[in-house]
Amino acid sequence: MDLWQLLLTLAVAGSSDAFSGSEDSSGNLKFTKCRSPELETFSCHWTDGANHSLQSPGSVQMFYIRRDIQEWKECPDYVSAGENSCYFNSSYTSVWTPYCIKLTSNGGIVDHKCFSVEDIVQPDPPVGLNWTLLNISLTEIHADILVKWEPPPNTDVKMGWIILEYELHYKELNETQWKMMDPLLVTSVPMYSLRLDKEYEVRVRTRQRNTEKYGKFSEVLLITFPQMNPSACEEDFQFPWFLIIIFGILGLTVTLFLLIFSKQQRIKMLILPPVPVPKIKGIDPDLLKEGKLEEVNTILAIHDNYKHEFYNDDSWVEFIELDIDDPDEKTEGSDTDRLLSNDHEKSLSIFGAKDDDSGRTSCYEPDILETDFHVSDMCDGTSEVAQPQRLKGEADILCLDQKNQNNSPSNDAAPASQQPSVILVEENKPRPLPIGGTESTHQAVHTQLSNPSSLANIDFYAQVSDITPAGNVVLSPGQKNKTGNPQCDTHPEVVTPSQADFIVDSAYFCEVDAKKYIALAPDVEAESHIEPSFNQEDIYITTESLTTTAGRSGTAENVPSSEIPVPDYTSIHIVQSPQGLVLNATALPLPDKEFLSSCGYVSTDQLNKIMP
Amino acid sequence: MKGSLECWSRLLLLLVVSNLLLCQGVVSTPVCPNGPGNCQVSLRDLFDRAVMVSHYIHNLSSEMFNEFDKRYAQGKGFITMALNSCHTSSLPTPEDKEQAQQTHHEVLMSLILGLLRSWNDPLYHLVTEVRGMKGVPDAILSRAIEIEEENKRLLEGMEMIFGQVIPGAKETEPYPVWSGLPSLQTKDEDARHSAFYNLLHCLRRDSSKIDTYLKLLNCRIIYNNNC
Repeated sequence: MDLWQLLLTLAVAGSSDAFSGSEDSSGNLKFTKCRSPELETFSCHWTDGANHSLQSPGSVQMFYIRRDIQEWKECPDYVSAGENSCYFNSSYTSVWTPYCIKLTSNGGIVDHKCFSVEDIVQPDPPVGLNWTLLNISLTEIHADILVKWEPPPNTDVKMGWIILEYELHYKELNETQWKMMDPLLVTSVPMYSLRLDKEYEVRVRTRQRNTEKYGKFSEVLLITFPQMNPSACEEDFQFPWFLIIIFGILGLTVTLFLLIFSKQQRIKMLILPPVPVPKIKGIDPDLLKEGKLEEVNTILAIHDNYKHEFYNDDSWVEFIELDIDDPDEKTEGSDTDRLLSNDHEKSLSIFGAKDDDSGRTSCYEPDILETDFHVSDMCDGTSEVAQPQRLKGEADILCLDQKNQNNSPSNDAAPASQQPSVILVEENKPRPLPIGGTESTHQAVHTQLSNPSSLANIDFYAQVSDITPAGNVVLSPGQKNKTGNPQCDTHPEVVTPSQADFIVDSAYFCEVDAKKYIALAPDVEAESHIEPSFNQEDIYITTESLTTTAGRSGTAENVPSSEIPVPDYTSIHIVQSPQGLVLNATALPLPDKEFLSSCGYVSTDQLNKIMP
Repeated sequence: MKGSLECWSRLLLLLVVSNLLLCQGVVSTPVCPNGPGNCQVSLRDLFDRAVMVSHYIHNLSSEMFNEFDKRYAQGKGFITMALNSCHTSSLPTPEDKEQAQQTHHEVLMSLILGLLRSWNDPLYHLVTEVRGMKGVPDAILSRAIEIEEENKRLLEGMEMIFGQVIPGAKETEPYPVWSGLPSLQTKDEDARHSAFYNLLHCLRRDSSKIDTYLKLLNCRIIYNNNC
């Protein structure tokens, strides 16, 4: 280490000398570069100062030192590498060993440098650059060639002592800028699509992999192709893009026009398929059109989700509300009006959904298109809207049916004969009911119905609250700012003794009936018959009807406004399925009143109380 | 009878064919993840991978050294380079081509293994200490971490190669131990930087050695001196 410390001081002194300028005035005498071309030998070069001629040759000396040979030695070969150089052959070269060299002039250190041989590798240029023709294009305009070369001869690539990386440059003869390719590890590279009528130049250089410095370039290779057929087509064939685009557009336009304006509905539907409207799965509209009420009920009962939703949310109500947001639409063609109108087809279309796809009939269905129905309503209506519409219609159906049944229990055929889909319509027709009492009710209904405008804002849909296991539909009143079910409401005053036969197997009762009975309560004592009936079947009575009717004894013929806030739902106290629900009594302010509500829930206890 | 004869002939054919296929030699498969002895990887593939990894390590260490030099050692390179000595200097590694040519491949391989093993510990501490350096560029730290990983990988690969080229040879050769940790942890910033510089310089040098020896072995063993 002593020698190294000496070296250190010398170097420091030398550097300071160099900075301050030595008395040799050799100014520019310094090392230019040291390089090893093949990792086996190396040489160092220096420049001589401008005053070289003044100095005696040989006064410049170079010394080197290695770690393992801890003494300065003079350069072994000043000649082989040219002037102002020092050449170290392989016996003097030791890779991975730090060298330090110094340049002295007349004894004074001029320059110094330290390095390791593996850091100064800079190979010689490759040799043997040539090219061969690979193929010529059919048009005889372009050609592919393969350029080959050999590594520098002094590098021992075969043994793997040094791994070389090559970089090829090329350009056309008259260009000034060389283009370069990516570095390669192989000694040949193809060049594609050279023009036969042009001349090219290529050159290649190499460096050791993992180092940065490239060696010198090889000689430039000139590539000239033997003159081929000079009369070859000069211009490249320009693909007629313009014509193709124009004709393509024309063809497409013609086709589109043909399709759109043709009468071929099939093709039209193939190209522009109709958008299916959502519908309820599993419900066969034909059945709803023509089937019996019980069948409809069973079908609905299958869909359990109908039941569950009732207890949870009023989302249906909200959906319904949205449907008639537009005031114009409301006044013109509200659902109420449509339902009350004499138009058969409109009500038919409620159940007109075909079961052939996952939605309701599309807007293109002819039977819908032919109706006066507000098509957009139909088509835009979501299934949720459709559902309550239908169910509300059903509620009405049931209500009316019930009425009919109540009035003529023997007339079961009558309600059955009434198509559920046209129940609303049938309001306006005289019913073939033998019971005279109902005639007046119908007339009353009719008068009511004849003023659709008065009911324009009335929502007489009744929400189906539940479906009994027997398949009967239980209604609960919907929006109770309305009058409820006007149809059912319209004949509360009509009381006949035959209403004692109110008891029916499927015990659905309109709240109309309830009001009826409240009105009747002081009058008719025959309602005791009713009491046992309530225990028979499933009895669901709306609480609303309970409360409304309870609050309005004797005034049931008036279509009540909803001054009394009526809860639509009441909590169930006991479920006595299949016999009925016993509800909490909180919603029932007047348990003393005798009443029956047909479309609703009432607790059997209260019923028992009511009925003597 | 006929059916069973057909069945047996098919089975025999299947056996023959499968034997032929198996006897064709080891097909190149991915390197066994479960260590040597569980599957056969061709020596050529092992060498290819080893050469790739060593090349990568050399690249990383060169870059790391240059970054460190640029950042911390400007103007001090000369002195530190003059004074450094690597902990692996005691290994009798060939210093030029002739020496390398005359060294037997067993010796070369054990030298490589010794180098790799002796760098395990310094690399680990390098990562730890570089992490603790204030304001160290991410380039240096990330490379240090990668080099440590790659070194381990290369060591594994080399051990596999050693096992295949020289079956049954003892692997536990003593390797030089690094003791430069105190200098890396010294409080003196300059001395600390100098120690780092030294270590990185040694790492670059040793990775170059390993790279060259491996390429030499590759050309000698796989390509029969005809790369």
